[in-house]
Amino acid sequence: MNRAQEANAQLQAATLEWIDRSAPYGVIATDRDLQVCSWNHWMERHSGLEAKDVLGRKLTELIPDLEERRLMPQLQRALEGEVNVVSTALHGWFIPLTPVAHGVDFPFMKQTARISPLMTRNQIHGVIIVIEDVSQREWQSQILARQHARDEILAWALAHLIEAEDPRRITREVFCKVAEHLDFEAYLLHLYEPENRMFSLHSAGGMEPEHEELIRTFSTRVIPWFSEMKEGLVLLRENVQSSTDPLFENARKFGFHAYVVIPLVAGSTLLGLLCFATRTRETITPGETDLLRTIGQYLAVALNREKIDRELRVAQEKLNEHAHELEQKVADRTASLKQIIAELQTFSYTIAHDLRAPIRALKGYCEVLVEDYTDHLPAEAIAIVSRLRNSSVQMDALTRDLLEFSKVSRQDLTVGALDLSQVVTDTIALGGARLAACVTVQDPLHSVLANRTLVVQCVSNLLQNSVKFCKPGIDPAVKIWSELVQPNARSGETDTGEFSRSRYAISEPGSQGDTDSNAPRVRLWFEDNGIGISREAQGKVFGIFERGDRAGEYEGTGIGLAIVSRAMERMGGRCGVQSTPGDGRRFWLEFRGIASTP
Amino acid sequence: MELSTSQQDTLTELINIGYARAAGALSDLTGHRITLAVPEVAIHEIEKITPLLQEVIDGEITSVNQFFGGSITGNAILLLDKSAALLLNRLLTDRPQAGTLDESAREVIIEVGNIVLNACLGVFGNLLQVQMSFSVPHLQVDDVEHIMRSIRIQDQTFRYAMMIHTRFHLRASDVSGYLVIILGMTSLERVLVELRRWEERELG
Repeated sequence: MNRAQEANAQLQAATLEWIDRSAPYGVIATDRDLQVCSWNHWMERHSGLEAKDVLGRKLTELIPDLEERRLMPQLQRALEGEVNVVSTALHGWFIPLTPVAHGVDFPFMKQTARISPLMTRNQIHGVIIVIEDVSQREWQSQILARQHARDEILAWALAHLIEAEDPRRITREVFCKVAEHLDFEAYLLHLYEPENRMFSLHSAGGMEPEHEELIRTFSTRVIPWFSEMKEGLVLLRENVQSSTDPLFENARKFGFHAYVVIPLVAGSTLLGLLCFATRTRETITPGETDLLRTIGQYLAVALNREKIDRELRVAQEKLNEHAHELEQKVADRTASLKQIIAELQTFSYTIAHDLRAPIRALKGYCEVLVEDYTDHLPAEAIAIVSRLRNSSVQMDALTRDLLEFSKVSRQDLTVGALDLSQVVTDTIALGGARLAACVTVQDPLHSVLANRTLVVQCVSNLLQNSVKFCKPGIDPAVKIWSELVQPNARSGETDTGEFSRSRYAISEPGSQGDTDSNAPRVRLWFEDNGIGISREAQGKVFGIFERGDRAGEYEGTGIGLAIVSRAMERMGGRCGVQSTPGDGRRFWLEFRGIASTP
Repeated sequence: MELSTSQQDTLTELINIGYARAAGALSDLTGHRITLAVPEVAIHEIEKITPLLQEVIDGEITSVNQFFGGSITGNAILLLDKSAALLLNRLLTDRPQAGTLDESAREVIIEVGNIVLNACLGVFGNLLQVQMSFSVPHLQVDDVEHIMRSIRIQDQTFRYAMMIHTRFHLRASDVSGYLVIILGMTSLERVLVELRRWEERELG
């Protein structure tokens, strides 16, 4: 052997020595018959068997359950030249050894082994088994897996409780699953009734029906720690079966060995008690208690939310009921007002109608007196009779207009397409040559949805009004034209003189109230060169018996524009006026348009 | 490199023999009936194998890798995509499925991969009637490109890759993966020669 070979041999010997004495894993070598020919120090230490006691013995003798644990094929294959891996997940361990890692609770050391052929120049001499202790890693992994499972159950329970409209309904499903995952055999959920200081059983799992009956309801008085629990104290009871405390009599009857009771507290309100119990374990770990406390908190939040929702719902229902009552009242009063208005209209019609004949008689007799008895009466009497006649003429006009107004308000109405040009031309013609001479129409006018009789009445009243309130010494001139108004522009109406609807006006079916707000609107304008109306009077002129500020200088009943307003209202339209005193007026009538308007 | 139909049939038959052995070993090990099937076998130049693998198996790959030596040398790799590796572990161990392979699960995949690789390589050993030696298998989790690159770096003489589509069937589920055997020119030629001889022998 030369020096190099010698050095190499020494190095190999040192390597083997290290494996034998210091390697941090077990090494077992066998011959082709699986008789142990090497057993390193690690193996001695963990098996308690010294090499001298093991060498020469068959592996199957040292580990009798190799066959049963399906480990022989690996050894056989290694003898055929293959390398084999023995994982802890599928086999647990290769050789049963006592675990040494601190805090690890496995019956045997968890191992991963590699079984390889011992070969030289294509010849197999035996097998070598290298064993690694993976107990600590597996223990940690189990803890992590358990933690993961708990996190999952927690997330699942949370999601279910938060999503549930009524968390009370799903508690059974949630808690049965929680109990199963956390290795508890029973759960109880009691809800607190503060009004009678009682707990009543809401749901339970893993309980005999007769046992449930025993705790269906109970008073706060039977819980000595009630005030502490109200503050959130978790009650943990262990080794219950060996206790003689009479307080745990029921728990012993139910077969509980350990249980934990979690108060369900939201804010400072106690909502109930949640209990999880085990019949197989004497203790409950702090980790489990913490987890159950968290689930209890979730449930309390969910229950509280449901309680608040319920209260809100009740309040909302009450509010709706109240609103409905108010609406009903408004509808009743509206109906009664309509009734009164109808009666008033009938009354005023009757009065006006019945007054006409006596007034005409009065007027006729006055005229007889003035014409036939002038010579027999003193001048003073004649003057009185003349004034009497003028008054009766005035009264006749008044009753006539009132009758007209009543008719406009009361008559049955049909609305149809109407060519304004035609109606305006006809109305002007009816007024005679004098009227026709002072009116200019900018044809064509639009077509609208309206009632012909009412439009004639409105146009006629406005024209007569314009002709009447002319400036002294100046011939009246009235210009008429029409234009389309955008429906959405109406809300921005700034006409200062727009007529505010009468305070007595009630919307009628077919009037503005139920018209299509997007339908086109048409305005028919009347511009005169008369005396104008002051800003204050503009808001009033359409009211009944209301007259312009200089009306005293002109004859009239104060009903003409009221008729216009009422007629427009009944056709689903509006009317208004713009004016500067001394500078004429611009009246407008706004109609519902039709699609074919020019 | 194109294999003739008959070469392909012979190779598939041989691998199936090896897989039957592996399936038996896996069934014994787990107590579940497991079958292994070979839907497809092909040989490609090593440059082409990465894109071809990327077409069929993508993302984070779990690979079990074992060198072999003797009359022929090369590298055998079992590749499983992430979901296949997780499913295989769950089916074999009954442990709840986690989002990642923990150390224990990695060992299970190594053990299973080792059985399949051994069975497949054993076929070549028998074919060539030589004793082959194997390294201890190791596991690598990476994308296809990096896994294949690390193998090429280990030995530049590797020229060809045998790509074996492998399907595990157990407990009413299928788990699909790829077994890739990488060989040098000489080794492949020896395999093909022996393949022809075997064919002649078998067909008389």
